Amino acid sequence: MTDPPRPDRNDSGLRSAGLLLAIPTLLIVSPLVGFFLGGALDRWLKTSPWIGLVGLALGFVAAGRETQKIYRRYLNEEDRSKRR
Amino acid sequence: MGLEFLNRVRRTTLIAGAVGAVVMATYAGPWTGLALAAGALWSLLNLFAIERLVVALTGRDRGTPATVKAAGWAIAGMALLFAAGALLLARLPIPALLVGFGLPFAVLTLKAASSLLLGSRVWRATVASPWRAALVVATVLVAAWWVVPGLMQRPAGAQTAATTEHAAPAELAAAPADEHAAPAGGEHAAPAGEHGGAHSESKGPQKFANVITILARAFPDAGWAHFLHEFEAVIYALFVALILSVIAFLASRNPQMIPSGLQNVVEALVEGLYDFIAGIIGDRHAARFVPFLGTLGIYIWFMNLFGIIPFMDSPTSSLNVTFALGLIVFLYAQWIGLRGLGFVGYIDHLLGQPRDVTGWMLAPLMLPIHILGELAKPISLSCRLFGNIFGEDMLLVAFVSLGITSMSFLPGWAPGLPLQLPFLFLALLTSTLQAAVFMVLATIYFLLMLPHDDHGHEHEAQHAHSH
Repeated sequence: MTDPPRPDRNDSGLRSAGLLLAIPTLLIVSPLVGFFLGGALDRWLKTSPWIGLVGLALGFVAAGRETQKIYRRYLNEEDRSKRR
Repeated sequence: MGLEFLNRVRRTTLIAGAVGAVVMATYAGPWTGLALAAGALWSLLNLFAIERLVVALTGRDRGTPATVKAAGWAIAGMALLFAAGALLLARLPIPALLVGFGLPFAVLTLKAASSLLLGSRVWRATVASPWRAALVVATVLVAAWWVVPGLMQRPAGAQTAATTEHAAPAELAAAPADEHAAPAGGEHAAPAGEHGGAHSESKGPQKFANVITILARAFPDAGWAHFLHEFEAVIYALFVALILSVIAFLASRNPQMIPSGLQNVVEALVEGLYDFIAGIIGDRHAARFVPFLGTLGIYIWFMNLFGIIPFMDSPTSSLNVTFALGLIVFLYAQWIGLRGLGFVGYIDHLLGQPRDVTGWMLAPLMLPIHILGELAKPISLSCRLFGNIFGEDMLLVAFVSLGITSMSFLPGWAPGLPLQLPFLFLALLTSTLQAAVFMVLATIYFLLMLPHDDHGHEHEAQHAHSH
């Protein structure tokens, strides 16, 4: 059984929604991951609380970076759909 | 024994060693895991050196300067390996190292044995009929069912003491809830008495009783009940997988051009998922990723819904299960990145693609930022799914309890109000929604790993991670 050729899909709205859906939890989770990984290193190296704090800061930066990346992608999707 | 056979042994040993090292590191400590990995690696390198030496000494080109040189390198390598082996034996736990050392030989022996078995007449006769093969598998599973708990059983005295200590308070806690369980709507038997025979029961909020917790409470001293209770989430997850496999088998065993019945339902579901995922990731990549993402979506959906069935539990209300699912997505996404960029390109991406002095100075900062950004994705996936499904279960427990309590002023036996009914419909909705969200986000993480130009961004031919 062979399927007939599929029409090219153009669900940029769905893709944009999915992209934006990823942002909120990434913003919350990235600093937490940084803090807990840093905290684990702190416990191991007995340097509490410094690496945890650095991890928290890096986590915030990582969250911002991921958000920027996703948002840039979202803007590209929007541009593309406007051009069509 | 050809060289291809040895290559297969090496590959299998690498996988088995990696899995074994992770398991040992988790359950017996990081040094034990490291020792197993180091032992397996040492043994593999030694096997490789021996192979080079044998090929150099017995191959067609033996005696030529190149083969003599290769043999010399192999002998020097073996001498170095023995020195490294002595160092490892002095520094790492010896039993785990020995297990690692023996791993390639165990794989070699098992592969040789399986080659013999697969060629035998008994095997061919067994696999000739699917029913006979299924019977053999069922027999092996039943045997394992009886043997594994026996092997896992702790010394009798210690176990009896432990189970007696934990079973009694749990049973006491279960008793009052059980009195009101049946009137509250059948399936939700005992909100307060889920955990009967194991150790972590009295901590944290309690869920509804399910078949396994009831069995664990009924047989608190049985090793098999303890085993079932310990691996409850995994057992339910495997059970859901089995159900889905059976459905897929039944739907596809006799495909018709004009589908009907189960084939029709499954085809509609698969086609709907294909269109949905292709809408996000693009048609070009749909065929490659839909089998994984679609399976993930259906599997999570069924696991979420499983908790609504009376005396069952949602495996996704366990963080271990959702984290495992998130980890699979993470590993696959990293694999996509590694394949797309190559190893050097991937490391370059993690360092922030330094091309000048400033870039290299920022590289040590960019590396943890990139790693944190990647790690946050599976953790956010797993926490979201776990939180929603666990919260949904807790909501049902709360309203069942409220329904029972609201009628407790009546004397004697009294039915509870079925206050949980509206939330069962809500659970249907959130279960479906959370499965879809997990699938969409996994698709998005894959999309972020794919090159931009696949979606019409000709001006951005760079990889998604290049900025």
